[in-house]
Parts: sequence; structure tokens; C-alpha cells
Amino acid sequence: MAWRLGVDIGGTFTDVALVNDADGTIGIAKTSTTPRNFGQGVITGLQQAIASYNVPVDDVSLLSHATTIVTNAVLEQKGARTALISTRGFRDLLELRRSARSDLYDLFQDAPISLVPRHRRLEVTERIDAAGAIVTPLAESEIADLVATLKKLEVEAVAVTLLFSFLNDSHERRLGEALRAALPGIPVFLSCEVLPEVREFERTSTTVVCAYVGPILESYLTQLETAVTDLGLPNLHIMGSTGGVFDVKEALRIPVNSIESGPAAGVIAAQLIGSQINEPDLISFDMGGTTAKASLIRDGEIEITAEYEVGGSGSQNRWVTGTGHPIRVPVIDLAEVSAGGGSIAWVDPAGSLRVGPGSAGAEPGPVCYGQGGTEPTVTDANLVLGYLDANSLLDGDLPIDYNRAVQALEEKIGNPMNMDAQTAAAAIREIVNNGMAEALRIVSIERGHDPREFCLVAFGGAGPLHAAALAEELEIPRVIVPPIPGGFSALGLVGTDVRRDYARTLYQPLSDLAAQDISAVWSELITEGKKMLKESGIPASRWQFHRSADLRYTRQAYELNVTADEGEFTTTTKDQLADKFHARHEQTYGHQNLNEPVHLVTLRLTAVGKLDRLEITHHPDTVGNSEKSRRSAWFADVGAVECAVHDRNRLDATSQLTGPAIVESLDSTLVIPPGWSASNDHRGFITMERHHNE
Amino acid sequence: MNEQSVYSPLETTDRVTFEVVKNSLYKAAEEMKIVLAKTAYSPILKVAGDYSCGIFDQSGSMVAQGPDLPIHLGSMPDAVRAVIEKFKHDATEGDVFIHNDPYFGGSHLPDVNVVTPAFYLGAILGWTCVRAHWPDIGSATPGSYGAVTDIYGEGLRMPPIRLYHAGKVDQNVEDLILANVRTPDERLGDLRAQVAANHRACRRLATLAGKYGVDSLTRIMQEVMDYSERLMRLMLSELPDGEGVFSDFCDGDGIIEDGESEDATFTIRMRVRKHGDSLEVDFNGTDPAVSGPFNAPLSVTASGVYCSLKMIVDPNSLIPANSGAWRPIRVSAPPGTVVNAQFPSPVVYANHEISHRVADMTFGAMADFMPENVMACSQGTSGIITLGGLDPRNGQRYVSYETIKGGLGARPNKDGINVVASGISNTMNTPIEILELSFPVRVDYYEITPDSGGRGKYRGGCGARRAWTILDHDSRAAVCLEHTQSPPFGIRGGEAGAPAKISLKLQDGTIRPLLTKGGFNAPKGSQILLEVPGAGGYGDPGERDSAAHESDLLEGYVTVRDEGLTG
Repeated sequence: MAWRLGVDIGGTFTDVALVNDADGTIGIAKTSTTPRNFGQGVITGLQQAIASYNVPVDDVSLLSHATTIVTNAVLEQKGARTALISTRGFRDLLELRRSARSDLYDLFQDAPISLVPRHRRLEVTERIDAAGAIVTPLAESEIADLVATLKKLEVEAVAVTLLFSFLNDSHERRLGEALRAALPGIPVFLSCEVLPEVREFERTSTTVVCAYVGPILESYLTQLETAVTDLGLPNLHIMGSTGGVFDVKEALRIPVNSIESGPAAGVIAAQLIGSQINEPDLISFDMGGTTAKASLIRDGEIEITAEYEVGGSGSQNRWVTGTGHPIRVPVIDLAEVSAGGGSIAWVDPAGSLRVGPGSAGAEPGPVCYGQGGTEPTVTDANLVLGYLDANSLLDGDLPIDYNRAVQALEEKIGNPMNMDAQTAAAAIREIVNNGMAEALRIVSIERGHDPREFCLVAFGGAGPLHAAALAEELEIPRVIVPPIPGGFSALGLVGTDVRRDYARTLYQPLSDLAAQDISAVWSELITEGKKMLKESGIPASRWQFHRSADLRYTRQAYELNVTADEGEFTTTTKDQLADKFHARHEQTYGHQNLNEPVHLVTLRLTAVGKLDRLEITHHPDTVGNSEKSRRSAWFADVGAVECAVHDRNRLDATSQLTGPAIVESLDSTLVIPPGWSASNDHRGFITMERHHNE
Repeated sequence: MNEQSVYSPLETTDRVTFEVVKNSLYKAAEEMKIVLAKTAYSPILKVAGDYSCGIFDQSGSMVAQGPDLPIHLGSMPDAVRAVIEKFKHDATEGDVFIHNDPYFGGSHLPDVNVVTPAFYLGAILGWTCVRAHWPDIGSATPGSYGAVTDIYGEGLRMPPIRLYHAGKVDQNVEDLILANVRTPDERLGDLRAQVAANHRACRRLATLAGKYGVDSLTRIMQEVMDYSERLMRLMLSELPDGEGVFSDFCDGDGIIEDGESEDATFTIRMRVRKHGDSLEVDFNGTDPAVSGPFNAPLSVTASGVYCSLKMIVDPNSLIPANSGAWRPIRVSAPPGTVVNAQFPSPVVYANHEISHRVADMTFGAMADFMPENVMACSQGTSGIITLGGLDPRNGQRYVSYETIKGGLGARPNKDGINVVASGISNTMNTPIEILELSFPVRVDYYEITPDSGGRGKYRGGCGARRAWTILDHDSRAAVCLEHTQSPPFGIRGGEAGAPAKISLKLQDGTIRPLLTKGGFNAPKGSQILLEVPGAGGYGDPGERDSAAHESDLLEGYVTVRDEGLTG
């Protein structure tokens, strides 16, 4: 009997998800996150999980981990002492950025932070042109001086980004070879290895972030790997931003590849649910304490984007703000809004009610937690509306101060706006739901997908509280609430495959390229992928390679990714690729231009080592009458109504509930509004649907 | 607008619906921006972002602007109103209108407005408009930045005209437009993107109307503007009252008149009076119109004032940018001056150069009575270089348009920012690799200019320097640059930033000075050398923090040590 273990570090809790390979039984262990030394919480969580589920360590087949180390190092500016080497005349590229300011009207905004200060930005004489030809050869004579300077600056990592290295990498590789030989023990990241793609600032930024976080990630992962090995567990795997896992060595090769690993895990978990219930079109909705994230799964496939920033003021994917450090590696396409249980409601000077972007976070937390919070939050609103238990949460572990929440709502919102606490709470909820609906809009309607054709998978501690209201707003007919919604993301860590994405920029009109030349590049990437999979110990029978291309009209700036069909790539399939692009453009933007030449920017390859498919189930401890109490809850249109409160653990495979009703479990509360019904199934999934005869 | 209605709280719409619909309107404007950026063809739109998107009410007042360029704050409503004035009786669903005439609410000819009415079940909800800078709009100079002496010389002038009728393009109109601009297929791509962006917003407005009702939606649009006005008044009244004057001079208009040996400078004078919850700005005493294209329509001048006021009054961006926000502000200028252009004065440079200058001067005029809310002069010029000709690599005609950023001014409590868009501008640079793949040029360096930030207790942001080598062909270039004669001013004792410089280095090594405005030939192998200005400092340089100065020396932002700092 084999087990898979996944560890996900959240702001408050570190979750360990367990899945029994044989029967799909899942379990969860929660422990406090240890921000000073994340590894400590991981080990504690693993020990707890192993003990409480009696898991023999020899029977663990996969251990994977989502890490926030990379993001934290950048946010807290605690990365390595990094140097950057650029083409002569261009050392300031990192600071010059794209020259737009992040906030149009903030007189007091700070300059964006450069991870490498100017005195550690060095130059080397060389130049390659836009055709990839050498204009100025690499000045070999300068290398010795560069090495001496790097030593004098006591750098801990080096990034090298030369112009047009994505077309001709000979200078970068020669310089890299010399630096690696002269500076043993100091990681050297070359842009042609990290991101062989056009756009020098974004490539520089990505390479610099790799160098900046590389040493920290290395020390964290090697220590953690030693600790898990000591526990007798198998090699550690890390989740990448596109939702696959890879081993530690691969994670260290390109550190930014694991930047969005936590959020990616949630989407992968949703995908897993979809494959189990034969629902290929899903929108995943993950709402926690501070943010809500939405992502789209179409035909069972996750959507990937290459526009991402770390450490910025916001990462709502509609518009990258330019305040952070761009990272042009593929990440799961998520829309994120600053809306969560901790989002603070306030009245602006003109008397209008606003929610967020401020958050009470884990500390002091919502007013009702009684831990010093004074500003009313979304959680307080949910409490006052009757959705949350007025006495305690987390099975009695978290006492709740209902009166204090009412008082805060009255003082801060109700009095200035002349409404009672309940009306204020309902208003807060409507505004925050509208903000979150925007995230769902971005990944669906805005990308040309009709939400009515999708099923919403709602999780995160607060997701099931708001899911039906959001589904209503976007006319999504069905909502799936998985078991253990609060720790659901961690399940994605173990329900995935080994995966890595490769890219090569060609930057030529599609018509100028012969099918066999394109095919040859993919073959090279496949060779790299095979090497990675082989080193990961995945048998060849489980290897898969997916080819795709980033295409656009010749004069556009943004590409759309189009998948190539399986089989030999011929002139005919090349034409089909162009046809697919036109259709995708029409779907996304509402128009296409068949006369305009199509430009091939980047070829991509995803190498996958398939793991066994999981079928998860959650068997409740007790069965019996699920209704444990009744309480009054407030709903738009109908007002306050008495509704049944059910214990999720006591629902059985045939349980049918009619809204209004509330379903409570350890880490989450599900609201079934009037007009909705819900059914539980044998796996412990709850499906909510709107009545047809509304 | 009477005082009563100004102050009345939101009585008609419940506040939650108001907040939800307001947010949706702003998100719709933001969505327009995405559609445009992702589908446009010319680098200035797709990678530099030189455009603005707005949603307007039935009368053409701006209800919501996307997160776009402050330069378009004041003048987009006039552009939409010009369309409404002409077509209000027969605009139908699926119509699209186009125009670029500065004398009908446009800004300058390259800024092309595409305006689409939004309908729901036959009822008109309002209008959507994308103003986008086309890299070429005809005229004798590629990029349309020549130093000409009337608007007829500036390129194709379009009064409000109908481009699509009931969803179908009028081929005659489109053909006429495309015949008059360089690289017409690229322009067609841009135009389609503008139409698509409007279409997206119209659909979203219709969805809102379906959900909340036409009357309710159009009423909320009014309330959103009232809300901005109320916030603006509240926040203005919290600032000190006062009055201040400021004057500054411009380098020249690119025209050397008879009897002159160099381009003559001219002066802008402004007076700001802030009292209670309103503010007045007048430009009495400003020099008369110049013969070159350095004359701004008043709405363009007002945009510069609005931009700085928003930074002064609302640094945390609480006030939604729309027509309501500007009701408490009165901007006036004598007709026929450089800040209130009259037909047929040419305007192309003034669009950004006057609005930049006026934005910086607004801070200067208010420095004495609200010193904690103003900043020193930023780079104050768009630093434009255009190139055009035949690309020897493929025989195709090309036009390149770039704006180069310099320093952002020092603030009351911190340094300026090195090399970033300031004031009315917020376009991005074009990546060097994209530029060289697209056009036959090579960038030789692009770096921070040391010692260019004005000294002060807080240092002005440094400027940048950049050089382009023209490869294997002769290029017809043009420049538009300010602050070569009048360096960006410091404030409260801070020193001025370094002035701008431009010259042409020929293949034989000789260096030729260039005028700051207008076209020039850049032959094969020549190198255009540009330095854009640094920004002004804030406060007495002697009070600079010595640790901050040491850090500047270490990083090479400053190369000369200041002795005896007291900070």
C-alpha cells in the first residue's frame, strides 16, 4: 500500500495532504507555519501526518512540496548578494526597466527596487545584432578583470544577460564557462539557459531573480531534503508554476520555475476533481484570508501564461502593474484579487462603502476572533449574516465574539452610512463578491470562454462561503465543493505528474520556416526533456511530450499559445497550426485577419512523466442524522430565514440538501442559498445546483 | 451644476449597487485597454501603451477612464462631444466614428479617436472612446513630427466622420485614411484594435443595462461623476488656501523666423488661486501663439493642470478619474496664446510638451503655500525621436516612434526617481531587441546619466542617455525635445536637473548640433546622440543626508563629492 504526501505552506497553516494510492483515501494534517524557518513546520507536519495516519515511511511513493521561499526572498529582499553582467552600454537595463511608473498619481511612490545595486552591475565589451551575427566579439581580455571585481565585491551569485543571446548564445556561454571555472561554489545563471526569449529587460529580470534566490533556495531545499531523508521518506519533489513536479536538482537549475507553486497546486487539485467526475471544463476558485484566485481548466487542460511579476503591488493578471520583478517563465494563468476573509470594509470620505485592499491578515485578524482586530472584515460580515457559527470555529478551537463583530460593523460602517449591522454586513458581502466575480470574469469571459459552460470548484477556507453567490453572478450552473476545502490545495501536490517546460525563441514568420526546421528544434527540446525524465527515474513508458508554439500576427506584441497535434510535423500540420491561431485569435479578441502573416515567436515543449492517476475519496468518521442545529441566516431577496445547519462529516452518499442550508466542517463552511440544492456523493464531493424552476 | 446637487448624497441609487456598478464601469475601461494592447500592431501602442480608453455618458462627459495616460484626462470628453454634436440624431447600433481634429476636441493629429455608441435594446447608454497615438498620420515627415507652420502641414486631418455604419465598414472612408498614412497595413491593424476595444466595452455596458436597467445605469453614470466631484471638493478643502504664480520658458518651436539666427524661446505664465473647495488657474501674460507646432488647445493645457492637481490632492487615488473630478477646477487662458491655440495654428509638439510643462509649473506655483504636497520639475519633455525610410533588409517602408524617459522630480520627503515616466506621460519604452528586430537601427548604449539629478536635500531623479546608429540606409528622422535651454527647475532651494542635449555624429566623426524640434537627415552610419534631462532637486543641497550622498557616490549616480553636508 503506497502513499503520496504533499506539503503546502500557507500564511497561517502548513498543510500536509495524504493520499492512499490503493483506495484514494485522503487525509490532512495541519500545523502552524513557522515563518522563521519554514522547514521546521514542514517536518512537524510530516511527522504528525505519518503518525496520525500510521503511514509506514517505506510505503511513501511520492513526497512533493510547494514552496514560498522564492517569493518571500524577493518580497523581503533577503536574497543573495548578486552581480549582473551585461553588454557594454547596458548595465542599467535592470533599473531602466520599461520606464513606466507603477502609480499614475502617487506623488510619494518609491522607485522600484533593483535586486542588484548599480555598483554590482558590470559590463563586458561584446555585441550581437538582431540577425544573431557578431558585431563586436567578446573581449576575452576583460574576463580576468571581471573575475577580480566579482571577488572583490564578495558576490554570492552572478547573472549574465547579453543582448540577443536568445539568437546567438556563444558569448554568454563562453563567459559563463570562464566565470564558473574562476568562481567555484558561486552559482552563475545565464539568460540563454534560463529564458532564451526576446525582450532584454524581462530576460534580465528573470535571470537576476534566479541568481538572487538561487543560494537561499539551495540551502533550504538541501536542508529539507536531508531532514526528510532522515525521516526515511523518499526524495523531495517541488511543484513548478505550471503544476508539475520536479526533483530538487531541477528546481535549483532554474529557481523561478517554482515561483507560483502554491497557487498552482490548488488548480491542479481542481483539475484532479474534474477528471474524476468527468467534468473537463472548470473554473477553480480559491479564497483564503487575504486573496481570492481564479483559474480556468478547459477540456481538462490548465491554462498557462508567461506574464508574471513577483514582488509587485498586485498580481491581478489583467494588467501587470510594473512594480514588481517580471518573470517570463510559464505559470498557471491565475487572476488574483485582494479579497479574502480578512479584507477590511471601510467608508471613504465621500460616504461610499469600500472593501479592501487592506486586510486584517492572520494578525490581528477579524474583529470576531477577539485577537485585537478592530476593523470589520468580510469574515465579520459572514458571521453577522448567520453564515458562520456564532460561538466558535475550527471545531471549537477558535472561540468567536459575535457581539464585538456587530459593534464594529455598527461603529465603522452602520453609523456613518445610516444602516444596521446586518444591512452593513450584506453590503460588504455584495461588494466583495463583485470584486471576486471580476477575477472569474478575467479568466473566462475576457479570454473568450462562456462561464455558463463551466463548473465552479470552490475551495480555500472561505471559498465555499461565497461560491454560490459568485456562481449566481456569472450564471455558472454548478458548484463542486471538495472534501477538506481548507487543505484542498495540498492535494494538488500529489495528484500531478513530473513536468517541465522548455522554450526556444525563433522569431521568424511562420511561412519562412520549413516544417523540418521547426521539428528539429522540438526534437532538441525533447532530448533535453528525456534527459530530465531519465534523471528523475521515470520509466520511458510514462514519458509524454507536448509541443506548442507562441504565435501572433507579425506586427503584434502579444502571442497566443497554440498546441501542435501529435505525430510528425509536416508542411500540412504547419498550416494547421496557423489555422488554429486565427481561430484562437477570433475566440479571444473577436476578430481575425487571414491576410496578415503569422509570426512564430517561441517554440515550447512540455515534458511529462505520468504518475498513476488518483481517485480520491473521503470517508467521514460518523454517519447519522446530519442536521445538528438550526439558525437564522440572511439572504438577499428573502431576508433572514431559519435554516438547517448540517455536519459535513455526517452526510452520507445519498444526502440531499435544499437551500437555504449551511454545511459545517472542521475548516470550512458551505452556504447553500435559497434556490440552490446540494447533494453529497460516495467520494465526499458536494455538488450544488440551481433549481431549474426558479 | 448647482451647489445643492453637488453635495447631495447618493439618494437615488442604493450605495451597494452604486459601488458595484462604479467598479464594473472602471473594470470595463480597463478591459478595453487589454484588448487594445494585445491586438494592436504598432510598437507605440502594443508595447509602449500610448493610448487611453474611456467610457462616456450620453452627453459625452467622461464617466470612467482606464489606468491610462494623464495627458488625456481633460481632452477626451471634448472629442466625444464633437462626435455627439454631429451625429446625435442618427447614430445607430454598430456605428463607429473617427476623428483627430484638435479644433474639434482632439489633441494633435497623431492621436486618433475612435468613438462608438453603446446601445441596449435600442436605447443609447453612452459612448466608448479609444484615443491612440498612430506613429504616422501623413505629412511630409515620417512620424508626422515636422516643424511646420499650420495644421494643414501636420498630416491627415479628420473632423468627426462615420467609419462604420450599422456594423459595416465604409470602405471609401477607410481607403481614404489608409492612402494618407505611411505603413497603412500597420495602421489598419491598430484601427481594428481600437474598434474591437470599444466593442468590448459596449458589450459590457449592455450587460450592465440588462442587469440593472437602462435608467438605473445611466443614472449611476451621473452619480459616479458626482461622487468624484464630491471627493475632489472634500479633499481640496482640507488643503491650505493660497495663491501663487510661476513662469518658465520653452526652448523654441522649431522654426527660425526671418531675422533670427536661432530658435527663439517663449514664456508661459500661470497663476493658481486655491480657495476652499475650488481652484482657479489662469495663464494671463503667456506669450502669443508661435508659428511652429507648439500651440496647445486649451483642453490639452488643462490636462497638464489636472494631472498635477490629482497628485497633489489625491496621492492615494481615491478619486475616480472622470469629468466630475474637474468640475471644481477652472482653467482659463487668453485665446491665441501658446496655451490656447486657435485655428489654424499647428499643434503637434504642444500636445505633450505644453501639458508636461504646465503640469510641472503647477507644482511650482503651489510650492509656497503647500510645500508638503508638491514636487520639483521632472524631465518635462517627451523626448521623441522618430525614424523613417526604407528598411534595407526587406525593402519595406518603416516608421519608428520612441519617447525616451528622464528623471522624476524630488519630493518633500524623498529623492526623485531615476529614468521613469513622469507627469502627464506613462508610456513604456520599446525593448531594444524588439526595436532592432523591427527597424534598421542599432542602439549603442542606453544608460543612466550620472550627475544629472538636481542637487538638493532630496536629489532629483537622474536622466538617461542613448545613441542610435543608422544601419545601411539613409533615414529621415525627427526630434521633439525640451529643456535644453531651461533645465528642469528645483524647488524650495533645490537645484535644477541637467538639461537635455541632442546631436548627430556623422560616420567621419564630426558632430553636428541639431535643433530641438523638427526633421533632419540621418545618413547611413551616422549616430544620433541624445541625453534626456535629469529632474530638479527639493530643498537646500547643504541639508542632504550624508549617508544618502555616500550611497549616490558608491552607485555612481553622483560622481562629485559634496563636502560639509549638514544632513
